[in-house]
Amino acid sequence: MLERLEKIRSQALRAIEESGEEDLEAIRIKVLGRKGELTSILKSIGNLPVEERPRFGQLANKFKKEIEAALKRRKAQFASEGRVRQIKGFDPTLPGRRYHVGRLHPVSLMMGEVCSVFERMGFSVVQGPEVELDFYNFEALNIPPDHPARDMQDTFYIDDKVLLRTHTSPIQVRTMEKISPPLRIIAPGKVYRCDSDVTHTPMFHQVEGLMVDRSISFADLKGILTYFVQEIFDKDTAVRFRPSFFPFTEPSAEVDIQCVICRGNGCRVCSHTGWLEVLGAGLVHPAVFRHVGYDPEQYSGFAFGLGIERITMLRYGVDDIRLFYDNDLRFLEQF
Amino acid sequence: MLILTSWLKEFVPFDVPVDTLAEDLTLAGLEVEGVESAFKGLKSVVVAKVLEVKTHPGASFLKICALDTGSGSKVEVVCGAPNVAQGQLVALARPGTILPDGTMVQTARIHGVESPGMLCSQAELGLGEDKAGIMVLDSFQGIAPGEGIIEALGLDDWILEIGITPNRPDCLSVIGIAREVAAIYGLPLMSLPGEDSVLEGVSLQGGLVPISIETPDLCRRYAAGIMEDIDIATSPVWLTRRLLASGIRPINNVVDVTNYVLLERGQPLHAFDLDRLNGPNINVRLARPGEEIVTLDGKRRELSPEILVIADRDRPVAVAGVMGGANSEVTDKTRSILIESAWFFPGQVRRAAKVLKVSTEASYRFERGVDPEGIPAALYRAMDLLSQMAGGQKKEVTDLYVRPFDAVHIELRPERANRLLGTSIEPDEMASILSKIGMEVGRCNSESIRAKAPSYRPDLKEEIDLVEEVARLHGFSNIPSRIPEASLISMHSEPGKIFGDKVKGILTCQGLSEIISYSFISPEEIEALRFGKEDPRSRWVRVKNPLSEDQSVLRTSLLPSLLGAVSRNFARRNLNLRLFELGTCFLDQGKERQPIEEQRVAGVWTGNRYPESWAWPDKSADFFDLKGVVEVLLRRLGVDPFRFRPGTPDDPFYMPGAGVCIQSHDGTTIGTMGQISPEILSRWDIDTQVFAFDLALKGLMDVSHDIIRFRPLAKFPSIGVDNAIIVSDSVYYQDIFGFIRSNGHEFLESVDVFDVYSGKPIPKNFKSLGIRFVYRAPDHTLSDKEVAEIHDPLLHKVLERFHGELRA
Repeated sequence: MLERLEKIRSQALRAIEESGEEDLEAIRIKVLGRKGELTSILKSIGNLPVEERPRFGQLANKFKKEIEAALKRRKAQFASEGRVRQIKGFDPTLPGRRYHVGRLHPVSLMMGEVCSVFERMGFSVVQGPEVELDFYNFEALNIPPDHPARDMQDTFYIDDKVLLRTHTSPIQVRTMEKISPPLRIIAPGKVYRCDSDVTHTPMFHQVEGLMVDRSISFADLKGILTYFVQEIFDKDTAVRFRPSFFPFTEPSAEVDIQCVICRGNGCRVCSHTGWLEVLGAGLVHPAVFRHVGYDPEQYSGFAFGLGIERITMLRYGVDDIRLFYDNDLRFLEQF
Repeated sequence: MLILTSWLKEFVPFDVPVDTLAEDLTLAGLEVEGVESAFKGLKSVVVAKVLEVKTHPGASFLKICALDTGSGSKVEVVCGAPNVAQGQLVALARPGTILPDGTMVQTARIHGVESPGMLCSQAELGLGEDKAGIMVLDSFQGIAPGEGIIEALGLDDWILEIGITPNRPDCLSVIGIAREVAAIYGLPLMSLPGEDSVLEGVSLQGGLVPISIETPDLCRRYAAGIMEDIDIATSPVWLTRRLLASGIRPINNVVDVTNYVLLERGQPLHAFDLDRLNGPNINVRLARPGEEIVTLDGKRRELSPEILVIADRDRPVAVAGVMGGANSEVTDKTRSILIESAWFFPGQVRRAAKVLKVSTEASYRFERGVDPEGIPAALYRAMDLLSQMAGGQKKEVTDLYVRPFDAVHIELRPERANRLLGTSIEPDEMASILSKIGMEVGRCNSESIRAKAPSYRPDLKEEIDLVEEVARLHGFSNIPSRIPEASLISMHSEPGKIFGDKVKGILTCQGLSEIISYSFISPEEIEALRFGKEDPRSRWVRVKNPLSEDQSVLRTSLLPSLLGAVSRNFARRNLNLRLFELGTCFLDQGKERQPIEEQRVAGVWTGNRYPESWAWPDKSADFFDLKGVVEVLLRRLGVDPFRFRPGTPDDPFYMPGAGVCIQSHDGTTIGTMGQISPEILSRWDIDTQVFAFDLALKGLMDVSHDIIRFRPLAKFPSIGVDNAIIVSDSVYYQDIFGFIRSNGHEFLESVDVFDVYSGKPIPKNFKSLGIRFVYRAPDHTLSDKEVAEIHDPLLHKVLERFHGELRA
């Protein structure tokens, strides 16, 4: 009996050692199942002399535990090795069946981001015509005919009174004509200037912003635009305001950001100044308010404009503005 | 504007490094766009020691000098100067040197002897007037051969390139910038030349040359100075060096002095040859019809009565404020001159310059406004310089001041300034800033500061202008930065913008990529689409001054933009394209009216249906691929129902029979789609199938109702019945579908086509449509019998109506 027991044990252990994963259950049944070898031996324990029964029983139970442990070990081994096993003919490493997904144009992406920063601050999006009247593009913005400030923007004319808007600023006037203060708007759109080289395209995109309320100050302008720049680039981007001139704002400022390429150390992109000009801004000129019937003693406000292509180029590292309008798929699919 | 720092120092004693100056000017609103050494051309000029002087074998008046240039090796150059001697330290300009007059030094062969460079005189280096011999450097302590001349002599002069905004004409001069520097650093301004001029013995009564102004509004002041016994010559080196550094070419002493004063004071001057003025007299008047003038640039120009001229007794001799005439030009023979210093109306000068298509240093300044009070000083300064440099005698000065300058008094409320700026600047500090920029401050208390603007600041007109000055000189960086306290405002964003963004989102989800194209295209591209005469898209809006003919009209359709993009991509072997654009089309409304701006969205699909991959079949896209995109777009926008009307659509650019109109429930056309005809594609060199759609955004928006109404989920099972029916292949499925829907029982939940087949065994000119009918009752489980009772009569009707039969 003892020999048989010993043989069952050694055979079982060897079988487990040599088994495949799917054999394990069969081995368990063969040895430990209800009619298994070991089970049968245990059942036949009654045939033994009384004095041998305890020793035999203990040994059989020890072997049973040993075999159970071996089964468990082997099973765990399979579980961990399971990953490297193959199903015949199935190669899960082939590329997946990818659907084609379209992309938004990078200018749209950036436009969306810019608008959303301002929408979070309660600015509403408004739009205006791309073909404008001279009046809205210039005169109502305090740029009378024969004013040298007209040279700041090379204009495409349709005829004497109609032109392609050179900036999104006419939307300020059109909105103020319709809505009384307070207001907060953001106006994205295409603008046109007759200029074409590596850094200029005859059409580009601007976003205009305008905030009018009872006590808006230059400090508020600084706060809002600094927040904006740090949302679009990052929290550590330094911002610099320096005096400039736009006929429809006063005081006027150019807003420079610390060069995002060299972090202000000076590089080719920032012409070694460490600064990049990204925005024009200022307090709304009282003459503009008077044009639309706002009382400049009661209300004040700020306006700003920024070129979307410029910040898109800085953000994604695009080095030639003309790529935006070439619409090469290899370009479009990178965004 | 180019400003030489040494010139600036004549008027304001600043003492900061040039980079600091540049930064401080920039932060005060005078953007310094570049800083360059004024001696950068002298980079390859080195100190050399003369080791030996030999006579040139081929020319006895020349010498060959052996030089030690510090590198140990000897250099031999040819030199003609009388004063060169052994042992001297001299300045050797090596090849590549650019002398201040613009000459580039090169290796030359002089009478058979090669000379790799030249020894320079003081004048040649721009360092002094001496041109008689070479500059000897022996008196400079501690310099050695080989050292660069810039370091050796400590040459420290810089050219600042400053961008001047159009509101600051006063800064278009050295003195103007000096005033700013003085204000920034709180420094005194030196006395200005010309303002203490000696006019002893000069007639101020006029009479030699009578002057009249016919148009006092266009010329408020005209001063003329007459000088005789002028010796026309070249100008001294110090003067030409300053002109050259400021970007102006020297001509002769008279012209150079007028340019010098223009740069120094910002007042353009013009010198006439007095002996060539008929009369002589001067009349400021508008040009007469038919008059013309040959200007100094040699161009004959027709004058119109909107142009202001300076005329003598008989004819125009200058275009006022723009350019002088050749008929009275100062020449080598000139002995007497009349110098003009005047004020012309800015808008007038600008119009004349535009009409004549010319811009000069003078017109640029007049357009922006010169200082009416500075006119005599500029004239005196020029006369002083000419009497020093050209031996001229001052004879007479006439100053006609017909519209005297009224000083502008402006009130600044400190409290308002602080409120607008978000600062708490003391009124005293504000007053101090205003006096720094040359304002005369009168009353000053916490409520109000009254100040008089100087005549050279035409930009100071009202309170806000002073607020700006305070902000600028207080420093923008000293203004705090804060987030505003503001009213809560509820205003909806433009519905068109939100809708457009939604459309873009649905299209990109379906694999189309967005393009953005120029709004202007070539007229020939519109013609290529063959719009009918009545179609508003056949009439375009033309740009008056396009960059090229290819970009000369505003697009009336998005299709040329998309086909252009397809064509360019094909040229780069990007052959599988799904593109869309959402943008404006412009429909002409006639002269002096804005065109109608129509927002449209259009797309194209060409090439493969699926991405190129082992995992997808290699199939070309067809009509139904793009139709699916359009259907999903319409459904997602809540345009339901809609239909595709076959036949000839309104758009002529589809292949006959392969284009459809997209219509909303009431039959309104909101767009079209189909296969573009090959003849049209050939215009863009495209020789493969292109499918396109074109939709009006406004039309879409009008019929889209994006209100979602939840429908309860069905509680009872449905029963589907499939029938294959054979009908003529000219029958449209859409008609069958519509017939079924309008004749179907209320339990007919849906109808769809699951199979389309033609070919054997279906007879020729017929097709088999597999149609699935799904029935469901809202309140009980349908039995087969019940379904048969309602379905069989329907099927019968369909077969009857479309002359069809059931497929066995």
